[in-house]
Amino acid sequence: MIAVALLMAQAAADPAAVAKGEAIFAQSCSVGYCHGVGGSAGRGPRLRGRGFDRTYLVNVTRDGVPKSAMPGWKDRLSGGEIDSVVSYIMSLASATDAAPANPMPPGVGPAAVNAFKGPAQAGRGHAAFFDAQKQPRCATCHALGGRGIAAGPDLSKAASMTPKQLGAAIQATSSNHTSIVKLKNGESFPALQTGSEGGIVKLYDLTSPPPVLRSVLREEIGSIAKETGWSHGAVSKEYTAAQLADIVSYIYYAGAGTTRPVKAEELK
Amino acid sequence: MKTALPLFFAVAAFAQDVTREDWPQYGGGPSAWRHSALDQIDRSNVRQIVPVWAFQTGKVDGGLQSTPIVVDGVMYLATSWNRVFAIDAVTGKELWHYFYQNPREIGIIYSPVNRGVAVDSGRVFMGTLDNHVVALDRKTGRELWKTNVEDMQQCGCNITGAPLIAKGKVIVGVTGGDSAHRGYITAFDIKTGRQAWRFWTIPAKGEKGNETWLGDSWKYGGGSSWMTGSFDAELNMVYWGVGNPAADFYGESRKGANLYTDSVVALDADTGALKWHHQQIPHDVWDWDSAYECLLVDLPVNGKMRKLLINVNKGGYTFVVDRTNGEFISAWPVAKNINWIAGVNAKGELMGRNEPAIGKPTTICPSIGGGRSWNHAAYSPRTKLFYTTGIEWCQTVTVQKEDPKEGQNFFGGVFQLKMPADGGGHLDAYDPVSGKRIWTYRSKYPLLASQLSTAGDLIFTGDPEGNFFALDAKTGEKLWSFQTGSGHRGSPVTYSVRGRQYVATPSGWGSAVAGIMTQIWPETEDFPPGSTVFTFALPEVTR
Ligand code: HEC
Repeated sequence: MIAVALLMAQAAADPAAVAKGEAIFAQSCSVGYCHGVGGSAGRGPRLRGRGFDRTYLVNVTRDGVPKSAMPGWKDRLSGGEIDSVVSYIMSLASATDAAPANPMPPGVGPAAVNAFKGPAQAGRGHAAFFDAQKQPRCATCHALGGRGIAAGPDLSKAASMTPKQLGAAIQATSSNHTSIVKLKNGESFPALQTGSEGGIVKLYDLTSPPPVLRSVLREEIGSIAKETGWSHGAVSKEYTAAQLADIVSYIYYAGAGTTRPVKAEELK
Repeated sequence: MKTALPLFFAVAAFAQDVTREDWPQYGGGPSAWRHSALDQIDRSNVRQIVPVWAFQTGKVDGGLQSTPIVVDGVMYLATSWNRVFAIDAVTGKELWHYFYQNPREIGIIYSPVNRGVAVDSGRVFMGTLDNHVVALDRKTGRELWKTNVEDMQQCGCNITGAPLIAKGKVIVGVTGGDSAHRGYITAFDIKTGRQAWRFWTIPAKGEKGNETWLGDSWKYGGGSSWMTGSFDAELNMVYWGVGNPAADFYGESRKGANLYTDSVVALDADTGALKWHHQQIPHDVWDWDSAYECLLVDLPVNGKMRKLLINVNKGGYTFVVDRTNGEFISAWPVAKNINWIAGVNAKGELMGRNEPAIGKPTTICPSIGGGRSWNHAAYSPRTKLFYTTGIEWCQTVTVQKEDPKEGQNFFGGVFQLKMPADGGGHLDAYDPVSGKRIWTYRSKYPLLASQLSTAGDLIFTGDPEGNFFALDAKTGEKLWSFQTGSGHRGSPVTYSVRGRQYVATPSGWGSAVAGIMTQIWPETEDFPPGSTVFTFALPEVTR
């Protein structure tokens, strides 16, 4: 029975797909503490010498296993690449040795750097928005394109604003959404209220980046006043005028999918 | 009935370093000795201790790698997936729990573990898998504040280590040594959650030390800070061990010494400014972190009292330095199977580097799991011995060229574990300065649980097969053992409530290292997972 199942699995495999899958597996799946060389097990389960259902493997590789260390690869590998990796894993079912003799399949070269796929200016804006060396950066308070920390407003909607409006918002010296929270213990801070539940009010404390999500008991609050000392302009000082124009171009691309060149003058 | 009281005075000199009724911090005290002054349970009566309660956490994924914190008769326990329990330390009854909500889709290249909370100023602090720090009310478990240290999706890093408390700040490190990421240690104000300071473990362009990185490699150079640091209040220094440079095995694109990876750094507790650093391994190409605990102890060296810091690295070498200035004192191995260097010279420099070749398998000992894993050593001021584990195992490493993708795996090679002739684990007692071995306890499998030292002259630890046991601190003789049903990967502690001493241990097999162990010990694939705290004490009648 087992032999028949294995033969069928092998018969179904396309050698070219298996070879391609082996190369991808070596760089993405066997590395580090994950599935081990040739699926020989690591922190992740052993894949070698075990039979799997193809559909199951495709689903798990694509979507990951929720609440586990197994990530979904749909954003990192194409559908074809996922199919190849799965063909390779299927081919391991008949392996009887603990690990392959040659741990490095031929043709494994440097992986392509995860470059931003989009227009050049938006690409520069994307890099600036998420520049990990900057504290703060836009992504410290905003999510865009599915990444970043969503403390401030959702910027995917900001794509409907004109460059001038965006420029005003980014370099604003006043604020529309924030308030000054005064606690009865004398503490006060600029905050963005995000919700309340029961007797608890949730606020982002914006005193200094990164924002702190504080859960304050309603009875601890003395007052919440609309006018505020917080200014968004302080955070945009991290960037040059040209970088802000790039970022605005990226906001259009990420929010609305439009390619729109933006000049620094347009933000004034 | 014997009382532990007189001893409390006898050890007053080590006020900060030893624990008493409580187990208040991750390392016991801020010097990370993992030694308690409690001596009700000792060599003469340890055979009589019995389990008094067990607490099931219900999440076995990754095992239970935690250090329980005990304050005023309440145990604070963190488990996998960032669950926190407050437990009555006498009865084992749950007082409250807090289950942190991690994002549904979260890729973790290690395990979803948490190694412990910190308790201070009526609050409980925890770092999370999605790179947040949370503060909870100690009495109720209610969340008070939560700060996102960095976006985990972007950095690919998690917080799994316990926070360190120093000078009104909660200080955390991050994983990420095996990802394209630039490491850091960050301090937050314990009251407001606001960032107080950040120390980047890799200097930026224009900063001193950046010249030890080729081109832009510093931006993706790893240097994680995944364990917990130590604090010397008198010197006002926070000490932290820094992990390996990334890519782990492929070093061509990051030529240079790669500061401050594989170093111990001393930071000003108020500002996070670097006071000194000592790099153990310049330009690491073996994935040898120096990220484990920094044990602080004052001992004579050549007849002169010195303030020392002891740090065992993953390559299996212990480095002893002067903690006032980082001056090298000595280095000695904790494992026999070490072939990546021939040794360390009198100046602390590595001799005879054996670097893995690009594209063809090279045998390297120990394995990536370490000449010792992260599980912590202990120091006893009574025996003046340092108790640590060592592992005998090897691997073949095949280096492959790799380019960084921000926040993604960045290993630059693969490894396959290999069994040397004398493969297995051991726990040894050493003179901390000379590294002279006093006794050895051998184990079939690597020992992956921390050591607990007590004034009863006992060393407690557990093994992968589920045995929790006590050794004579002076001779290494096994005096007592109890089968908890799942392997040990956490850190036992001891505490006392109303005059009764308790010893508590996490039990629960799992973790990345437990995973790769199956490559040479295939039977361990079937070792049962678990996640339980077992607590022992002398029977009421015997006390
Ligand atoms: C410290 C946190 C923080 C940082 C960093 C930050 N923002 Fe904001 N942002 C906010 C807050 C809070 C608001 C709401 C301001 C208000 O009250 O009007 C906001 C508002 C905005 C708005 C207006 C959105 C709307 O719907 O009205 C835009 C556009 C914006 N930010 C873009 C950016 C860009 C681009 C960057 C980087 C240069 C950036 N932000 C950095 C916190 C931040």
